[in-house]
Amino acid sequence: MLRHTTRASNPAWYQSALDLDLQLHIRVDGPSVSTFFFKHSKAQWSKGPAITEADLKDPAKMETCAADILKQARSFKAPALGVILHLADEFATAELKPSLDNPAALPDLRDAAVQKPTSILEDSSIQPDQNSWRVLPYPAQGSGVIGTTITLTRQYAPFLAALRQTGENHNFPIVTHALSAPLVAVMGLAHCAPFAAEKSAVAILQYPWFTTLAFFNEHADLLLIRTLQHRHLTHAPNLRHALTTTNASLELIDPDLFILTLGQDLAPGLHADLSSGFPVSRVIVVTPPTPDDIPAWCPEPVIAATPPPKGETPRSLTFGILRGEKWALQDFLPTPKDVVEIYPTRSEMQLLRGLRLARLCLFAAVVLILAWFALGIFEVIRRDEWAFDPNQAEVVKTRLAKLTAEGKKSEHWDNLLADRSKAWTSMELLCRLFPEHAGFLVKTFVHTVRPDAAPGQAKVGFVKEWKISGLARDEAVDRLNSLNTQEGISARFNEVARVTGNPAFNPLLGNRSLAVNVRTQENSSFKPLPAEETFDTDETSYPFNFDLTITQRFEATDPMAINVTKAP
Amino acid sequence: MNLYRQSIALFGIVLPALACAALVGLCFVLKSNALESFDNKLLLFKASAMNSTAAHEIEAKNVVQRPHLEHWVALLAEEPSSAVNTHLRAIAELLPGKEIQKTAFERTNSKGGIGTATAQPSSQLRIVFRGTFRTMQRAFLELESRMPQLQLQELRIDPNPNSQNPSPLLNFQVNYTAWEN
Repeated sequence: MLRHTTRASNPAWYQSALDLDLQLHIRVDGPSVSTFFFKHSKAQWSKGPAITEADLKDPAKMETCAADILKQARSFKAPALGVILHLADEFATAELKPSLDNPAALPDLRDAAVQKPTSILEDSSIQPDQNSWRVLPYPAQGSGVIGTTITLTRQYAPFLAALRQTGENHNFPIVTHALSAPLVAVMGLAHCAPFAAEKSAVAILQYPWFTTLAFFNEHADLLLIRTLQHRHLTHAPNLRHALTTTNASLELIDPDLFILTLGQDLAPGLHADLSSGFPVSRVIVVTPPTPDDIPAWCPEPVIAATPPPKGETPRSLTFGILRGEKWALQDFLPTPKDVVEIYPTRSEMQLLRGLRLARLCLFAAVVLILAWFALGIFEVIRRDEWAFDPNQAEVVKTRLAKLTAEGKKSEHWDNLLADRSKAWTSMELLCRLFPEHAGFLVKTFVHTVRPDAAPGQAKVGFVKEWKISGLARDEAVDRLNSLNTQEGISARFNEVARVTGNPAFNPLLGNRSLAVNVRTQENSSFKPLPAEETFDTDETSYPFNFDLTITQRFEATDPMAINVTKAP
Repeated sequence: MNLYRQSIALFGIVLPALACAALVGLCFVLKSNALESFDNKLLLFKASAMNSTAAHEIEAKNVVQRPHLEHWVALLAEEPSSAVNTHLRAIAELLPGKEIQKTAFERTNSKGGIGTATAQPSSQLRIVFRGTFRTMQRAFLELESRMPQLQLQELRIDPNPNSQNPSPLLNFQVNYTAWEN
């Protein structure tokens, strides 16, 4: 809708034809069709296109005529065209139902005349599809009725519809408005008729095919409006009689008679006729002022298009409401409701346009959000971690597990196969404790290793014990005493550790302890002999027996403690 | 008169807004899934990197230790008693025959000594020798170097008890715990 029409951007689609800057006024009075363009902003009138009655009534010519009008309108470079059709070829009245004689109900009656005329008209035989009715109030006091209805046929409705359709087809607003020319002329009397104070008046609107009589009271308020058909004559044959009888019925005494000649080449003599017929009344020919391009007999376009100066006080209530409440400017051939409802209203179009903007903002916001999402995802997927294959993690994990198992196995066997207890190192210890020719005779040597079990630990300590017994001479006692000290035994162990490279003998490593006990007593079989007579294996040459016990304890926290678990 | 207001509102903003919300929601879900997947991958990546570093470190250690381990495994694959006998025969050929004599050999499949403290399978070997001190020390050095799975359980050294016939040969009784795989 927004793309195919300018309804959202061009407010003219929803304005009244009389409010548009460029207006085409078409006046139809029967014998002739007059057209005028009016440029409202410049208050400029100009001649309109040549339109014949056939153009208005013949469906075959309507489209061509409408296209021609559109073409001319575009030459004004106007954004829209208001076409005002002044219907001066017919005028009739129909009475309201007497039961509706309530002035306060006039607004409702006005709507009812458009929507459902049968509900307000006295005549029950009317045909709404062929005629159009509009209410006209009688504001004057004592008029007897609150108003009447003006009846016009719908013969020009197809032409106006063709104009509107042409506008639709070309996306150019053509707004139509059908006015009753006599009503407009009556409204124009406010500025051109010389109403006298405290004097009633009758306006005689002489059209080619009928004459309309508008009766005003002494306050210039409308009492009654009626029409006299000419019936193929140049004037109304019963005008004087009608004036006389109506004046009498309205109790008007010698009202002023205002004659408006509203047709070209109408028969002259009406002034003289009325002057002679109503010698007491003031008979005045009223000529509404018109611009140069508008004939004097054709004042309705000027009256309708030119509003009175702002702040001007209306001459009477009638003239005030005829223009102010637009009773005289009612559209007799409006756009049918079913056609109007095809298109959205102005507020809906504004809503549509506003929502389009809101949608653009929404889409822009969504695009930004999506871009933000995309950027975030792009930031993620361009990192190395995104391309990482989870299977690779499993491979590495498996490899690590395999290597860890291998490492643990290696550590396990490294622990179990440690040089914690070797025969040859213990024999070396024996040599280092009791060197040759040092006055010792070792009789027995027992070395045992036993675990120092402590439940619930990952490693268990162990205890190494050496029990050595033998014989000693006097010169060996000092050495035995030295071995019986912590420093002495530690020095020997340290020496063994150094020469064998066996860390189990290093008393300073890890968490281990060393205890020694030497028990010495006299040898009961000792026989003192000179030194040159003794030999090493002679037990009787040794004055002392000794028992040496060395205990080396490895705690569970020592590096050489034994793994409890099985190899992985 | 505003026949189209609801339709305009519905098609003009409500449905596009819902579509946009659905699109944004879909993208949000996709991004959330992507981020969740990325977080998982990141965790795996970091864990894998740590594992890889750890594997390299362990590998560096294992490379040094592997030849030893392979050697140990090969040793442990042998049956202990036959291996000891084989090695003792080989060692005896290197030493003076009169200074080392194996007088007894006994194998016990049950655990004993320090073998009882661990779940690692082991067996007990009891060997009795007669020999000189230094030759036996050399024999033990050779045997225990060739078979590091032997853990000395007990060592007894006694002189020859026959005082009428003194001999330089000593009695050696050793008990070993032999680790088995």
